[in-house]
Amino acid sequence: MTSIFLTGLQYLGCILIFPGFLFCFFCGLLLTGIDRKLVARMQKRVGPPILQPFYDFFKLLGKETIVPAAASRTTFLLAPLVGLAALVVIQLFIPIYGFSAFSGMADIIVILYLLLIPALAAILGAAASGSPYAGVGLSREMVTIISCELPLVLVLLAVAKVVGNALGTGLCFSMTEIARYQVENGSLITKLSMIPAAVAFAMVIPGETGSHPFDTAEAETEICEGMHAEYSGAPLAVFKLSHAVKILTLTSLFVALFFGGIGTGIIAVDGVIVFALCVIATALFISFVHAVTARLKIEQVFKYYWTAVSGLALVSLVLAWYGL
Amino acid sequence: MNFTNMMDYHHFPIYAVMVLFLGAFVTMVCGTRPSKNPNNPAGLRAWIALCATGVSLLLLVLLIKPVMLGGETIAYWMGSRGIAGGYAIGIALEVDALSLFFALLIATAVFVSAIYSIRYMVHDDCVPQYYVLYCLLAGGVLGLVLSGDIFNMFVMVEILTFAAVALTAFRTRVYGALEAAFKYLVVGCMGSSAILTGVILLYAQYHTLNLAQLASLIPGSMNNATKLAFAFLYIGFSTKAFIVPFHPLAADAHGAAPASISVLISGVLTKSGIYGIIRLTWFLFQTMELGAMQFMLVFIGSVSMFVCVTMALAQHDFKRLLAYHSISQIGYVLTAVGLSTALGVSAGLYHAMNHTLFKGLLFLAAGAVLHETGTTDLGKLGGLSKKMPHTTVLFLIGAFSISGVPPFNGFASKWLIYQAAYQRAVETNNIGFLAAAVVALVTSTLTLASFVKVTQSVFFGQLPPEYENVKEVPFGMRLAMGILAVLCVLTGIFPNTVMSVLTEPAARAVASVGEYIMAMGFKATVPTPEVSFAHVGVWTPVNWLLILCIALLALTVAALAGRYDQVSASQGENVETKYQLFYGGEQNVYSQVGGGDLFWGFKHNWRHYFDFMHDLHSGVVNDYALWAVVALALAIMYMMIAL
Amino acid sequence: MFKKLIEESTAKSPWLFHINSGSCNGCDIELVAVLTPRYDVERLGFKLAGSPRQADIVVVTGPVTKQSLNRVLSAISQVPEPRCIVTMGSCPQSGNVFKGSYSVCAPLSQYVHVDVDIAGCAPKPEAIIDGLAKATEILKEKRGRM
Repeated sequence: MTSIFLTGLQYLGCILIFPGFLFCFFCGLLLTGIDRKLVARMQKRVGPPILQPFYDFFKLLGKETIVPAAASRTTFLLAPLVGLAALVVIQLFIPIYGFSAFSGMADIIVILYLLLIPALAAILGAAASGSPYAGVGLSREMVTIISCELPLVLVLLAVAKVVGNALGTGLCFSMTEIARYQVENGSLITKLSMIPAAVAFAMVIPGETGSHPFDTAEAETEICEGMHAEYSGAPLAVFKLSHAVKILTLTSLFVALFFGGIGTGIIAVDGVIVFALCVIATALFISFVHAVTARLKIEQVFKYYWTAVSGLALVSLVLAWYGL
Repeated sequence: MNFTNMMDYHHFPIYAVMVLFLGAFVTMVCGTRPSKNPNNPAGLRAWIALCATGVSLLLLVLLIKPVMLGGETIAYWMGSRGIAGGYAIGIALEVDALSLFFALLIATAVFVSAIYSIRYMVHDDCVPQYYVLYCLLAGGVLGLVLSGDIFNMFVMVEILTFAAVALTAFRTRVYGALEAAFKYLVVGCMGSSAILTGVILLYAQYHTLNLAQLASLIPGSMNNATKLAFAFLYIGFSTKAFIVPFHPLAADAHGAAPASISVLISGVLTKSGIYGIIRLTWFLFQTMELGAMQFMLVFIGSVSMFVCVTMALAQHDFKRLLAYHSISQIGYVLTAVGLSTALGVSAGLYHAMNHTLFKGLLFLAAGAVLHETGTTDLGKLGGLSKKMPHTTVLFLIGAFSISGVPPFNGFASKWLIYQAAYQRAVETNNIGFLAAAVVALVTSTLTLASFVKVTQSVFFGQLPPEYENVKEVPFGMRLAMGILAVLCVLTGIFPNTVMSVLTEPAARAVASVGEYIMAMGFKATVPTPEVSFAHVGVWTPVNWLLILCIALLALTVAALAGRYDQVSASQGENVETKYQLFYGGEQNVYSQVGGGDLFWGFKHNWRHYFDFMHDLHSGVVNDYALWAVVALALAIMYMMIAL
Repeated sequence: MFKKLIEESTAKSPWLFHINSGSCNGCDIELVAVLTPRYDVERLGFKLAGSPRQADIVVVTGPVTKQSLNRVLSAISQVPEPRCIVTMGSCPQSGNVFKGSYSVCAPLSQYVHVDVDIAGCAPKPEAIIDGLAKATEILKEKRGRM
């Protein structure tokens, strides 16, 4: 009886503290802060303090929340919460070195589909606001999702094949197995066929998180923040937090898939190492790209992902197919 | 014959079929005068139809225990005339797990649609005749899947085709209804004739019409005439399943028919086509070990999947869009069946079941919108979520299910299909199966995009001024949708139960042809193989849902503690500028972003493809008849060369 | 403590929404100038918001022409509380050289409570930063009173 209670408490701790809400909250916002600081430094500016996203978040909590008369109130208010909860749950499934909070509950295909839920929640919230700006924004967001899906699918299939080959099972979808394999045999990035896959995944990160130059869905200068045009106060704060957590989720997924072999076995140290790797990934794939590019048009986004990035992913899949 | 003897479950299949035909007859006897009740113009006849479908469903549910769990194959000879001189001379019903699986789907869809019809059909003329045709259609499809001989399959195909054509044309006032029915009639009759020709060719050679006996005779002695018969039968059942190249018919027929009939055409008729194809390829000709056959089914399935989802993206009518998605989902089923593994068949059947549930739900939601607003044009609707909240929630459940959003049922089955396809690709080292897996994954996202379009265009966004007085649909219609929505959620959350009770017995039945033949009393040469449903993926929806609920609960508690719900919202009729939408400071006017062209960023890159597709689908029945002939010619050529 | 945290954050994260009410573009260019590397107002947490729903500070430039008056007022009304209204340049305060024209409705303070006036035609970037910093203090005070 006591052991069941303790296990329950442990799982609850996982959900609420590490690697659940509290971890996501701090690390996600910290990542965004670092990103903003880095972009500013690359543009020769002083930039906001690293804690700026925390200030933004708490300020938004203190603001009035206005629900427009044309909006569907329940969907409008519920959508941000569902999106955030879904993101935190995905974070629970991503292993940190050898450790995963809930092992054997989901595989990479499931994670691919779970990643749709936060985007879908944002889309539904935008649709429920009734604003035409949000309508344009959600259309662009959906096209961005379609764009990113093909390269992501190819990358994940390649990973499944490579790990499956190495383990002798032919195929391996389980996230836990992939992590364990890397702990025992070194990171996947050391395989030849995984290098294009890693590059392709890295190129997908800014698209999935909606950062420059793929932020067409929230283009504040042309469509008034797009999907979030009517959001204010606490719901907006939750959306901003979701955006931050999404950066954490995608970068830590990247780290777990391609750099999973780096760690010590002590959870606290591994957490720090993974977070450091996430910071490097953010700096390279989000901040640097942000600082040097201008926003693309939506049809250019689509074309870019379905030609250049998918091509890279396909190369990796073909290499994996022939056992390299 | 005493009562206990009559209640023996071996009689249940024939009862289930007969009660529907009896229902049609009794409804007819009731005459054609409409009843005085404005809420139910069909009066007693509606209740007769409801009872008939309900009894039929009940009888089939009672068969789950012996057939699905007990593994028995019920062979039933009408009038006890069985085998004489080594040849089957009587009319037979043979119910194995596969037949029962499809019969259960059909009976469920028919029953739910009957509940829905009562309130849905109030605005129509000639409603009494509607129920006659309705029962005929239901009986025809059920008879088709339970039948044990191929000529009766043809007879049932005829019954269901004519009932479906008449029901497609039922709303003669609707623009295009007669035209759609005519197209369906022309191509449908070509399909039926093809089936008849195939049956004749087989009978001429083997002197029997019994499925089991044919299955025991054909495989060893394939000659050109049998291959010709196979091609004819395959094309015949393809027209019933509306797979490529017969998909344009589906769009017309679904668009014009009443929603309660669209449910049957999409959820039931297409299933009968798929059932026919499975019976042909796995049982009658036993060709599924051949690479050529696997290639054909997977190729046609993948093409159907992708072509129809892109066609759906280009639609601007709610029901036509759903129609194209039907064929796209049937493409998934065909691909999975074509993989020719136990897991593949099981996943395909699972998806077939899910398709019946969620597509039924979506068509009923479209019907609800049509019932209240009088249109299904995506460009004219918007913002209905404020007027029809329940319909919106039910629609969203259906939309999430079809787009494969976890944890709804579409995800569970699609996920198995991806696994099956990829596993098969790795086992055989065949890039073709890998391509099918990738197409399936991408199609799923395009499906989501398409339903985001519907959600934004119909239920969210802004309410057009002319729909200010729209009300929620009556309870009867919501009840029908609710049943399907609950089933969608349950089959998504408990995939293992569904698989072990329904799809795995059915898939096992597909693999064990020998038992099917022997149950009828014929000699089988095929050994029953060991089947394994092992797959490498992991997905535990219950646990995931539990974690999500805890997370959401924690978040909600935190949000409520922070007074998240204390929002400032407008009071009263005259909306202050504060609560108006931000239009750059302008006065609010009706401005809805939606309709057919929502995803132009995607379509722009594919414009040549869409132009090509647009020119190809001319809408002229002559063209579609020509497609059917060409498809038949190609099928004959392929069968002759490849088998 | 939580209230204090929110108050402090409000002062440190003011988001701007910029309305041009018929300005000659001089002030608008100066407002963009304070975002450039030389002045970089983002180090104080300032950010340009795309929609009034997300803004804390509304910056109005231009002499409030008759055409734009209702639009300016409705956009301002859509900013959630606590909000702070800043006029920038001489035009919205007095009408500047357009004063007396049949089509100009300045000063803006006749129609809505203005918190900070940044004078100048156009004001220097240093003056703008100073004015905005004052606005953040008012914002914090307003949040404290909520």
